Amino acid sequence: MISSISNTSITAPLSKINISVIALPAALIIMSVIFSILDPVFFSGQNLITILHQSSIVGIMALAMTFVIITGGIDLSVGPVLAIAGVLCAWFLQISDDSVLIAIPATLSICFTIGAISGSFVAFIGLPAIVVTLATMSIVRGAGLLIAGPSLHLIREPESFLFIGSGLIGGIPVPVYIFVVLAAIAIFVQKKTTFGVLVSAVGDNHRATFLSGHNSNKIKIICYGLCALGAAIGGIIQASQVHTAAATYGAGIELDVIAAVVLGGASLMGGSGTIQRTIMGVLMIGIINNGLGILNVQIEMQLIAKGAIIICALLISQLDQRRSK
Amino acid sequence: MWLLKNIPNRELILFFVITSLIFSLFSSTFRSAGNVENILIGFSHLGILAIGQALPILMRGIDLSVGSILALVGMVMFDCYIIFHMPGYVVLPIAIAVGTMAGVINGILITRFRIQPFITTLATMAAYRGLTYAISGRQLVPESATQAIDDNLLGLFDEFSGIFPYSFFLLLIVLAAAQYILSRTRIGLDLYSIGGNPEAARLCGIKVDKMIIISYGFSGFCAALAAIVMVSRMTTSTENLGIGIELTAITAAVIGGISLQGGIGNAIGPVIGAFLMGVILVGLTLTGISTYAQPVITGVILIAAVSYDRYKYYKLRSKNSAGESA
Repeated sequence: MISSISNTSITAPLSKINISVIALPAALIIMSVIFSILDPVFFSGQNLITILHQSSIVGIMALAMTFVIITGGIDLSVGPVLAIAGVLCAWFLQISDDSVLIAIPATLSICFTIGAISGSFVAFIGLPAIVVTLATMSIVRGAGLLIAGPSLHLIREPESFLFIGSGLIGGIPVPVYIFVVLAAIAIFVQKKTTFGVLVSAVGDNHRATFLSGHNSNKIKIICYGLCALGAAIGGIIQASQVHTAAATYGAGIELDVIAAVVLGGASLMGGSGTIQRTIMGVLMIGIINNGLGILNVQIEMQLIAKGAIIICALLISQLDQRRSK
Repeated sequence: MWLLKNIPNRELILFFVITSLIFSLFSSTFRSAGNVENILIGFSHLGILAIGQALPILMRGIDLSVGSILALVGMVMFDCYIIFHMPGYVVLPIAIAVGTMAGVINGILITRFRIQPFITTLATMAAYRGLTYAISGRQLVPESATQAIDDNLLGLFDEFSGIFPYSFFLLLIVLAAAQYILSRTRIGLDLYSIGGNPEAARLCGIKVDKMIIISYGFSGFCAALAAIVMVSRMTTSTENLGIGIELTAITAAVIGGISLQGGIGNAIGPVIGAFLMGVILVGLTLTGISTYAQPVITGVILIAAVSYDRYKYYKLRSKNSAGESA
């Protein structure tokens, strides 16, 4: 497996204040204050909705990715899955006479299957998740290009499809509602269902979960399926937002998604991570992108800043773990 | 038979020969000398990158930032030559130093702060790409974009000696050096020990952190050499140089028998892996298969290669445990 050669301890004493727990909310507040001082526009109700709107696609994908990362895996193929979902949806709309009720379920089930297939390679053959999904990333991207070519495909109809990405309810964009509802469902699944507990158990100790009579392979496969499902929902929202589908969308988006989850404190070794903290990570990335955009920072500096901020956030949590050892 | 058993990567070489024979039967262009030249010059830099990638993977790590280091080094060469008018013999050492430094920074982040290699290099992948845009001479001095890098020394790797391009000789030198270090020196022994069992290696007194920094530094060094070859061939550089090439380099290394479990592999395998991918991709293009099918095929080959690696690992393990019980 790809793993760092580290000897960090996982358990921290409960008695003292855990820096890694409060670091992220503190960083969120500090960054918001700094951006608000530099440009008051940042701290307006309208901009807060904009931040949520901008981070909704990455947010939805990060919710699903959290489950995969908790099992100790990773899914790099979310970008191409996002693209192929848009392409498939456009195609299904075309052949089903603009029936959203056929196109969206069909797209979602195909994408779930794609995820489940990479999950099977990870679960049954025991291949490293990073390599399997690196390969499916390449395969799905190529398949998308074979289906749709490199060109943009316009989606003008039907209204109900375009409403998903660009509609407003009470002045708030629909993707924000989708993100909030899915976040609530994901929190419920993680906290209140057997599946949520089993996901953590598989990540913590795969063998022990198997020996206590649970089908740990099935859980892994479902997690990868869900991750692709999240990417597909993101893809449908994006296609509906920009009224086009293309096989080239979503390049590099996996970096943002994984960064959001890891910023939220989920360990890539598996077993730890919660949906709430992932949402904080998503907001953090959203605030960085939005704030740097408002301040007119150039795109190249944004890339450097994002890399640096992610590394700093990880440093803080690592330092804390080492101190508590 | 005894001799045959001692050839390294014999399954891979056999597969390479069979694939080449099949394509030669189906395409008359494929079996021409011109095509051999094409494959040699088109994939030598990939071979160099794959050797570089082999070291971090041997140590159970991974280096995703090689594509961005490649672009960074390319842009440094562009700036030095076109904007600052430095001669080729000054540009080359600067380029190599920049690439090695970028790799060493990866290594320091991984060892000092104990961040997982995958995340570190994912972050530096974004950061180095951003840095490339930031220092891009094409944007700072727009009229420079159309000027070519026409230095004799910097254009060396676009030239041929017979059917062999100079970049292929560079690959052979890197290969010989890497294989010598891995199999004949203390550093190589330490690398294998750490890859096999990091904790045991640490307890034996091997400086694990230093070796990790060396391995990422070497990966950056190889990325710099690959950048020099690519810039030499294109006579210019762009900000988008080498996007996605890390996938191909990792694939070549894994096909070449560098085990992701760590501690298994040699320097020759990745080079054969790189040229095998070259043969397959060029062969498919020449037999008229869409270029969009290429990423699909690359992905399938990667999965097949790791599955085989896994199979060998299981077989080795079951053989070992059988030996213990007997």
